[in-house]
Amino acid sequence: MKRLGLTAQVCLVVLALAVAALGQAPPEVVAGARREGRVVVYGSLEADAFDVIRKVYEQRYGVSVEYWRAASTRVLDRALAEHRSGRGLFDVVLTNSGPMKILKAQGVFQRYSSPSYEEFPPATRDRDGILSPSYRVVVVSVLYNTRLVRPEEAPKTYADLLDPKWRGKVVMPDPTLHTTTATWLVNLRRVLGGQWRSFVERLGQQVGLVESFLPVVQKLVAGEYALGVTYVKYVRQFSEAPLDYVRLNPVLADAHLVALAKNAPHPNAGKLLIDTLTSRAGLIALAQTGEFVLVPGIYPPIKDAEKLRILLMEDLDEQEFRKARDELGPLFRRR
Amino acid sequence: MNLGGAVPRTLALPRTWGRVETTTWIGGGVGLLLAFLTLYPTAMLFYGSLSDAPVGTLGRLTLAHYRAAYTDPATYRLMWNSFVFGAGTAALSVLFGLVLAWITVRTNAPGRTLFELVALAPNVLPPLLVATSWTLVLSPRIGLLNVALLRPLGLPPLNVYSLGGMIFVEALVTTPLAFLIIAAALRAMDPSLEEAARLAGSSAVDVARRVTVPLVVPAVLAAATLNFVRAIESFDVPAVIALPAGIEVFSTKVFREALAAFPPNHNLAATYSVSQLAIAVAFVILYRRVTGISERYATITGRGYRPHLIDLGPWRYVASAVALLVLGMLVLVPFLVLLYVSLIPFYEIPSWDVLPRLTLRHYAFLLESDRVARALRVSLALALGGATVAMLLASLVAYFAVRRRTALSGLLEALSFVPWAFPGTALAIGLLWAYVQIPLPIYGTVWILLIGYVTRFLPYGLRSMTATMVQVHRELEESSRVCGAGFVRTFQRVLLPLLRPGFLAGWAILFTIYVREFSTSVFLYTPRAEPIGPLLYHLWQDAQPGRMAALGVVVSALCVVVVGLTRRWVGQGAGRS
Repeated sequence: MKRLGLTAQVCLVVLALAVAALGQAPPEVVAGARREGRVVVYGSLEADAFDVIRKVYEQRYGVSVEYWRAASTRVLDRALAEHRSGRGLFDVVLTNSGPMKILKAQGVFQRYSSPSYEEFPPATRDRDGILSPSYRVVVVSVLYNTRLVRPEEAPKTYADLLDPKWRGKVVMPDPTLHTTTATWLVNLRRVLGGQWRSFVERLGQQVGLVESFLPVVQKLVAGEYALGVTYVKYVRQFSEAPLDYVRLNPVLADAHLVALAKNAPHPNAGKLLIDTLTSRAGLIALAQTGEFVLVPGIYPPIKDAEKLRILLMEDLDEQEFRKARDELGPLFRRR
Repeated sequence: MNLGGAVPRTLALPRTWGRVETTTWIGGGVGLLLAFLTLYPTAMLFYGSLSDAPVGTLGRLTLAHYRAAYTDPATYRLMWNSFVFGAGTAALSVLFGLVLAWITVRTNAPGRTLFELVALAPNVLPPLLVATSWTLVLSPRIGLLNVALLRPLGLPPLNVYSLGGMIFVEALVTTPLAFLIIAAALRAMDPSLEEAARLAGSSAVDVARRVTVPLVVPAVLAAATLNFVRAIESFDVPAVIALPAGIEVFSTKVFREALAAFPPNHNLAATYSVSQLAIAVAFVILYRRVTGISERYATITGRGYRPHLIDLGPWRYVASAVALLVLGMLVLVPFLVLLYVSLIPFYEIPSWDVLPRLTLRHYAFLLESDRVARALRVSLALALGGATVAMLLASLVAYFAVRRRTALSGLLEALSFVPWAFPGTALAIGLLWAYVQIPLPIYGTVWILLIGYVTRFLPYGLRSMTATMVQVHRELEESSRVCGAGFVRTFQRVLLPLLRPGFLAGWAILFTIYVREFSTSVFLYTPRAEPIGPLLYHLWQDAQPGRMAALGVVVSALCVVVVGLTRRWVGQGAGRS
């Protein structure tokens, strides 16, 4: 099984980590975390990938982890709702930078600078000391079903997606539903320049729509569509499926952040979780699951991952997102 | 127990203060509880639609959300789509349910016992999985039926990604409910009416047309009403079919424009939900018109009863074939697809090449995973506890709503219909904020799930109880009370045993719904107590259809056992009476 294989592969890393990193955190924090007994995390990282961090953490500190995984919009909604009611049940939130910035602006988080943040380039760090550096990025490209498309037939550039032969054979998330896709389309302007408007208009004619990036993978693997806009990491996470990806140049990526809740019921356990997640060893373990992490020289085991030119997407604020929805909606949803 | 006929009407309701008081107290208590369960979250939702601040915070009143929603021409288009979807689903599901129920309960077609068991099976298949299965059968490009049958014959492919496709799949999802309601009514029918018609010289067809059909009309209308509203509020099937097809119905609009907005706009969700409330209110009025004349249909009297089986002669094999065809679509196709998906690493069109790749790894995952074990524990506890609490409450509400025609009854019925009106997601947010305000350990525990389940699905239990309640004649209860029993004793000793078929039918429906409930749970659960519904969804979200299917197969098998046992129990009860 691919998952077991993956688990087996990270197992050694996990064990090594559990021993190697012991004793780095201040003893009073560790003692506090043990008293608290557990940590509650809300996030959008896939459950299997998060399990790698969970194992390291639980082995190292003997504190249990409760992980609630949902799409970033839902994470935002739940965290915000609980915070506003003053009944927050979570200690740590980890998701895309857009929602994280909204949560920060709403006062959901407290200041916390993990010792591991020192390892990151200063440019990636939050000036207010609240959000983590962008410890990993999620890279968006075009994946294709290798049973339906031979590598030489596959598109090579963004413009190739508009070839009439792919009409109705491309699947992507609905940009009026899926925030990252809307952000991706808006950021393509930086790549395509003057071609952007006509590209987006014509792309709207080519594609079928689903809810988010993982259903795109479903449709691709099942053979309902030949090409799909989704995360490159799924090539690794579904390594047994007939999938490969287009080496677009550049590829756009969304930053991911983590932060500690202001009213965290288990603040010490939360701090240790952030330390573990953003530690060099934690990130190396995450990279094994297909994540693009911000550690120099470390790449996920995906072919040509090190050759990709990654362009970080600019976040949309609430108003920009609404504008994008109004502009893109009619192009992609014709009924 | 044939005492009823001899009791004069004037003695029917005891005048003793103490007894009347008990009844009034209990009725009032039930009313208050129901009002709290339904009106409190409803009020929060109404408030949300009129507030300029996010749910849970104080804001100023505004009509801006209504202006935004109802000046958009797309709103009226999606209302029409929703109406066609709901009406189509109601009609098709009642047709399927009626045909199956009639063949199963009233004819001598071979294989009836099996049909009955099998007809209940789709009720245990989570709608999300049923929809997924049918997309794999009817997808224009990879659909099994299209690839294996229509393409070789040169016929155009069937397309599940259409309004017709949605109606078809949703009808299959809602048929078991129609079947249960109609079958219960057919089973409880007084055969002497049909015998009288037969003795008067009517043919079997005439008896069916003139006697049987009018007697099942209330049940048919009840089933159609429920399934119409159920389709209007359903999100599972539209999520799998309507979203990719670009068809807008109410629930996708609420989800897409409001709940999936960035950040989410609960105010607009509440605004759209108000329209759904209006639809439900219209259907309560319709339903009351049907049951308002319910006395005419009271056919369980103090006499022994046992429905008469119609001898179809050689046609009984045709009846069996029809039943098998419907059941094939209802159960066999989705279940086989589910089973197949659970045994392959990743979905591919079935062929001989797949054989060497068959694997049990997804089932092994179920055994290894703590998360799966915990979800099973949580959902089983909620299903057993929730179904029992909900049916006891439903029995009391049904009693006061149907039997004691007082000012309270209309109010009770209206209250109990409130949860129907909301999409599960919008009601869940109402519940979340309703209970987050209460300083009791409810929010963030399994108790909020229990309250949510009981509140949202009370109408299911209630329909089952009222359909049975209207058929139990007053005379039995009146006899008990004349003999000196108080309300509690009469309810416990006379009514509940008589209502057992309805109680257990409702209990079985609720159990199967609760054990895999999704759209309310997903907003109310905490990571400590993740039920099966959200887990199935998360496995799907994580693109693990194999694991989802394996868990679906296991949960479905469990539910088949529970439903089977319940039916057996009902059968034994009927035998004794």
